[in-house]
Amino acid sequence: MQEEKVILVDPIKCTGCHSCEMACSMKNFGKCSPSLSRIRIIEFREINTFIPIVCQGCKDAPCLKVCPVGAITRSLSGAVVIDQDTCIGCRACMYVCPQSAPVVNPENGKLMTCDLCEGEKEPWCVKACTMQGALRLVPKYQTIARKGKEDFAWKIKEEFKPKIKEEEKVEGFSFG
Amino acid sequence: MYGWMGKRLRVGLTNSEIKTENLPLEYLKKWIGGRGFNSELLYHETQQGMDPFDPANPLCFGVGPLCGTFAPLSGRTTVSACSPMTCSLRGTDVHGPGDGNMGGHFGPFLKYAGYDQLVIKGKASKPVYLWIDDDHVEIKDAEPLWGSKVKEGTTRIMDELGGDPNIRVAIIGPAGENLVRYACVINSYGSATGRNGMGAVMGSKNLKAVAVRGTKPIEIADPENFARSAWELREKIHNSASAIRRREEGSMDLFDVGNAIGINANKNCSTGYMPGIEETYGGKQWAEKFLFRRKGCWSCPVSCGRTTYIKEGKYAGFYASGPEMEAVCAMGPRIDSYDVPAVNVMCGMTNQLGLDVVSVGGAISWTMECFEKGYLAQEDTGGIPFEWRDTETAMRVFEMIAYRKGFGDVLAEGSIRAAEKLGVGMDIVPHCRGQEHISVDPRIALGFSLGYAMSTRGSDHLRNYSCMEFPGCAEDRKYMTEEIFGPELAKEFWKDFPKEMWTLKPTKPRLCTWSERNKGVADLVGCCCQAIGSWGGAGNWREAYTPLLRYATGVDLPDEEVWRGAERVIAIERAGWNREGSARQDDTHIERYFTEPVAGGPHKGRKINREEWRWAQSEYYRLHGWDEDGFITPEKAKELGIEEVIPNIEKGRKLYEESMKRQKSK
Repeated sequence: MQEEKVILVDPIKCTGCHSCEMACSMKNFGKCSPSLSRIRIIEFREINTFIPIVCQGCKDAPCLKVCPVGAITRSLSGAVVIDQDTCIGCRACMYVCPQSAPVVNPENGKLMTCDLCEGEKEPWCVKACTMQGALRLVPKYQTIARKGKEDFAWKIKEEFKPKIKEEEKVEGFSFG
Repeated sequence: MYGWMGKRLRVGLTNSEIKTENLPLEYLKKWIGGRGFNSELLYHETQQGMDPFDPANPLCFGVGPLCGTFAPLSGRTTVSACSPMTCSLRGTDVHGPGDGNMGGHFGPFLKYAGYDQLVIKGKASKPVYLWIDDDHVEIKDAEPLWGSKVKEGTTRIMDELGGDPNIRVAIIGPAGENLVRYACVINSYGSATGRNGMGAVMGSKNLKAVAVRGTKPIEIADPENFARSAWELREKIHNSASAIRRREEGSMDLFDVGNAIGINANKNCSTGYMPGIEETYGGKQWAEKFLFRRKGCWSCPVSCGRTTYIKEGKYAGFYASGPEMEAVCAMGPRIDSYDVPAVNVMCGMTNQLGLDVVSVGGAISWTMECFEKGYLAQEDTGGIPFEWRDTETAMRVFEMIAYRKGFGDVLAEGSIRAAEKLGVGMDIVPHCRGQEHISVDPRIALGFSLGYAMSTRGSDHLRNYSCMEFPGCAEDRKYMTEEIFGPELAKEFWKDFPKEMWTLKPTKPRLCTWSERNKGVADLVGCCCQAIGSWGGAGNWREAYTPLLRYATGVDLPDEEVWRGAERVIAIERAGWNREGSARQDDTHIERYFTEPVAGGPHKGRKINREEWRWAQSEYYRLHGWDEDGFITPEKAKELGIEEVIPNIEKGRKLYEESMKRQKSK
């Protein structure tokens, strides 16, 4: 059986360049638009923090169960994919998803998720992020996946929050 | 329509008029994009003797056909208007075309909203901001926002519009509102249109900000080849050592190189070397101490943008976007300061206030030198002492400039106008066409120097980006020399390399001409010029951008046409200056650089040779097909398809001749 993989996201390394979004829309639609991309960067630009949101192919995926027309299936690579012909665009998967990863295709109102660029050696978004390394394709259930998330949670808590507070405290300066 | 969106959005603020125009394919092919559209419109919709604060002055935001696509480095926007900053020897009330180029995310979203260009004219009766949400365009009240700094203003506008993080805001700070002549437009909290005072033009229109959200896709004519070509370029960048270094160290990686070869212009551009600044300001050290996180312009794999966080010391807890190398140069070495944390804070402050960091550094360092030379004293500046290395005073003065308080009101006019008003220190303003140099000494790097003088937006390195004259770059890109110089001159170029790189050889005008078109192509397509300039990991214009341009647009645009397009844009900008009677007399440096040798460093004793300089000017004109006085010839104008400039140039020539006569009689 094919090894199941997942895109590991490291928001600390993300620079908010949106190359991954461009790569995704280019691969799947031959157009360039962030709204056609299956990966999205949620921006907290004021504090220069960017969080890539992409389907993580949950082991016990709630979207699989909630889809009323059975459009969602699991592929061999472990990705959870939505069949565009069957989907009726009810968005139930999007609401139930823990990170709201399914994206509404603005052209037909149907939902789409990351299929890890089936047939390609490496998903395009991961390839586009080579230099920053915020996105990596790793075997699913590897401990590193959990570690990455723990790291981020820690950094947000220990390093980041005090910074934002202190920023307002700098004496003699007012910065918005 | 492929690549382009094919539309121009026109906004008249006086009568709240909003209309869109379709751009025909012929027009798109001729002017290609970004700076091309802007410069064309600017020439045709301004007249001789235009006042930059006149409501009729068009403020244009232009994006290129590659902007916002999968092509790497494609996040650049050009903002153009008649510039309040620049002037001519004919007088400080003579203004030419100006523009600034910004990265960040504004341009791509303007394109996703469906426009290649946004043109704003008129003047609103009270502060407003513009809200573009795809086809919905609205002029909204900005009275409560007036006076806010960049960060606060951006956040408030985004909150007011619903808090969607996909809204991009280009905004002016207090400096723009108060018509500081070198105010910037700033988008994404820290990507500024440096130089030329586009922010002041925006402020004069009572326009606080432009907010944009777009959801339309950019169609690509040949997706398969486009993607392949983009991947090739991306891989080239991923494997480029200079790109990796740029990513790690930001543009501050140039400090080590720059100071080692002695080109950094310090202390108001009077010396070319400062002992030990590599250790103080070098990219590696900076990244270790202050780098909070990188940030990238749209679709850029390199992400040389920085955010600063100061951990300890006097400014502990400070957080800001930036800085970039020129910003650090202007705030540090230019005022002889080694205090890096203070420099970071100063860069952050200028961003928040919306000031152009190079010009504000120039104004302050000029005042400092005036104090040193005894031209000015405390009683002239309202009791403020200007001493070298005094970063605290500089910080205080920033606020005064941005709000035009006290002596800040004088400096807000820029150093050349301040010198004129105070009647002192005109000879030590390091400027061309009224705009201060960046921190590369014009006596040493003569390709850059020629570029400053010939630049169509006042002294600036980002017009004629002659990086090939630096030994490191030249060796990296050795294979290009034949293309740039031709076989004969290429030999000349490599003769006595690198020792002879610092004299005004016959190669310099040629390099300058090539580089300005090379840079021009990047501006036209809407991509980054650094990738084909300073770090150069993407090669040159031909390798990097033209295949992508053809695949994206599906239009038959051979390399020669694109090259010609870049030449045309430079010509029409030049025509804008020619119309004002500005030509050879302005294409030069201040007397200082011809008479006063460099004070220290590896190039001690070097100055510009006047005879050689005159020759270089003429050679540069010859290469452009301009006449001996620096006016575009009718033949050249016809060849480039811009015949309409000919009568205006003739009028300009009369102004030029009059002014030359006046000067001689003096």
